[in-house]
Amino acid sequence: MSKKIIILFFLFFSLLSYKVIASDADQVNTDSEDFETTTIEDEIYDPLEPINRAIFSFNNVADRIVLEPIAKGYKKLPSPLQSGINNFLSNLRAPLVVVNQLLQGQGENAIQSSGRFILNSTVGVFGLFDVAEKIGLEEKEEDYGQTLATWGVGDGFYIVLPLFGPSNLRDTSGMVLTMMTDPINAYAVSEGEAWLVPMRTAVNAVDTRSQIIDEVNALRDNSVDYYAAVRSSYYQNRKAAINNVDDSELTPLPLISIEFE
Amino acid sequence: MKFYLFIFIFIIFISKNLYSDETSEWLKREIDIILEAYKNENLSNENRFLLIEKTINNNFAGTGIAKFVAGEAWKKSDKNTKKIYIDNFKRHLALNIASMMQGYSDQTYELTKSKYDNKNQITLIDMEIFSDTGSVVVTWRVKESKDRFFVIDLIVADISLVVTKRSEFNSMLKKVDNDLSKFNEVLFDQNQISYQKITE
Repeated sequence: MSKKIIILFFLFFSLLSYKVIASDADQVNTDSEDFETTTIEDEIYDPLEPINRAIFSFNNVADRIVLEPIAKGYKKLPSPLQSGINNFLSNLRAPLVVVNQLLQGQGENAIQSSGRFILNSTVGVFGLFDVAEKIGLEEKEEDYGQTLATWGVGDGFYIVLPLFGPSNLRDTSGMVLTMMTDPINAYAVSEGEAWLVPMRTAVNAVDTRSQIIDEVNALRDNSVDYYAAVRSSYYQNRKAAINNVDDSELTPLPLISIEFE
Repeated sequence: MKFYLFIFIFIIFISKNLYSDETSEWLKREIDIILEAYKNENLSNENRFLLIEKTINNNFAGTGIAKFVAGEAWKKSDKNTKKIYIDNFKRHLALNIASMMQGYSDQTYELTKSKYDNKNQITLIDMEIFSDTGSVVVTWRVKESKDRFFVIDLIVADISLVVTKRSEFNSMLKKVDNDLSKFNEVLFDQNQISYQKITE
């Protein structure tokens, strides 16, 4: 008898679990109050919006005329060459990544990134080949902006930097710190090869831009307010980087109802 | 007793996984319809977009997303304005997704991970798109309602399409004093421009 009760209980719960999934989804309705539960737009403090929009327009023109065509040309290079350039640039960033991981108390990640740098700089021929990835040492990016955020420094206001694009007060400070403390740049300058610094920045920009040609075009061609779309994208992306979000489950979930007409 | 308890937990676990698999299979079918449309050279650009738009409208929670992204402006509007807005928004959504998927049409993809989020009762499906130089992960958020699945959001590089649209729309709505009927004109014009680009 007790066995029958257990089986009945078990079947009831199995059925219920399906029922709950279906019925609760039906009952999700958006009402006017829901719109007040999220303050996504309000979180972006943009007191310099008119100036930012002007710089954004300038950047957009510069992108269309200069960066995008170069990035499209770069995309036509043989893919091993593109991967090699990307790996090389990424390896140059590694020493500062390690510094920032240490500053954020990520000891294990710092060891892993150091291992990546040593391995890729030697076996990977100055970082051209990402051999570390193949043995499970994954690339993790950290910068001063993320470090400052981890230390509790707020975003500050939103800024669009000429040519560099979207940023905020904290991340701009982080960028300046990167420029001042990057050992590779410092070495190039000390050797009288300062021209390598802007060259590296330019190649980095082309390499990054080449990876998001379709995404940027889709956003630019289909936005009612491209400036606001980029601003929101920047904040979402930075927030995920600061929180080291690998799982999209942690991305804020909008309250969406399912409705049948 | 322990045995039955074990079986019970096991079945619940399996059922959740089966549910995720079923969602992934459905999503794969729908993605393939869109990607195949891009590969089909017999279709004119206009017919290709119309086919993709139909697929997107059938599978996205368009009305719900439209309401969410309109924010405060939704409350103030009359029924007819809302209806026009929803129609405009659905086309806008289709144009956005179609434009994004166009870039992925010559690449291979795999649905790499599927996970049921118990708390929010949604399924998260990771789609990894491979190119010669690397890969990009797009996460689809899927909700079930009345035995059907609906996409409620797309996340590319930690950027939610719906959150971005809400931010973008709010910014534009502020310029028209949260007047949805005025915004409808802006959205309609933008759709015309986007439609010309995708069908040219």
